[in-house]
Amino acid sequence: MPQKAASQSLVPWLLQRITGLFLAFFLVTHLNVHHLFHDITVEGIISFALVQERLTASFWWQVYYFLFVPMVVYHALNGIWEIIADFRVSTGWSFLFKAMFWILGIVLIVVAAITLSNLF
Amino acid sequence: MKFSEKLKGTAQDVNLNRNIGNFSFWLHRLTGIGLSIYLVMHIFVLSSAIGGPESFDKRMGQVQNPFFAVLEVLLIAGVFLHMLNGLRITITDFFAWSRGHKTLFWIITVIFIAVMILTLVLQWPKFFMENYTGGGN
Repeated sequence: MPQKAASQSLVPWLLQRITGLFLAFFLVTHLNVHHLFHDITVEGIISFALVQERLTASFWWQVYYFLFVPMVVYHALNGIWEIIADFRVSTGWSFLFKAMFWILGIVLIVVAAITLSNLF
Repeated sequence: MKFSEKLKGTAQDVNLNRNIGNFSFWLHRLTGIGLSIYLVMHIFVLSSAIGGPESFDKRMGQVQNPFFAVLEVLLIAGVFLHMLNGLRITITDFFAWSRGHKTLFWIITVIFIAVMILTLVLQWPKFFMENYTGGGN
């Protein structure tokens, strides 16, 4: 008897690749600005004022995070789902995981959006 | 089949196929799981900004010290391992270059080492408590 395919559709697979390519750019930028090139001896520790100063430096940071956050959340949760799907879980568990990840994903994006709106 | 048996089968599969492809496959999954957990924590910690500057500065003060600076190096290592290996997978897939996947693995290893040396240089001041006295601007 043929076994059910681990992944049901081509679309999530392709989206994982596309978001991955975008994330390679977004994450290098994000890490450089907020983690790696944050010189503690010059700028001091990270504070609300410092983050606000960085994010309001250009309008484009709003566009940047509007694209970055949903992409990183999708990539992370879809990635975990792909690992779970590889173990060929039953239909019931599959539904439960999918529902859980959709709720978690929406909550994360909404929380991140409210957080960012406070900092912009 | 029980989930524990599936996990056992996975472990046997890893043990039987000790090669670069399988190693990077599991490295990708493990870093992916780690980074996903970090993403949730990251959004949670930063969400203190919803409560205003005081609550954000208080929360951020708790996660800025040499201990977290070392953890941050691990985070950056995870990000770049996952990113470089992800690019390797994408190049191998989209350009039908599976013959070169092992060569690509060694290329990304060299890039990874270079990135980590730069990371250590840039992170160095954060490993010392005396540099945390400044309250920012």
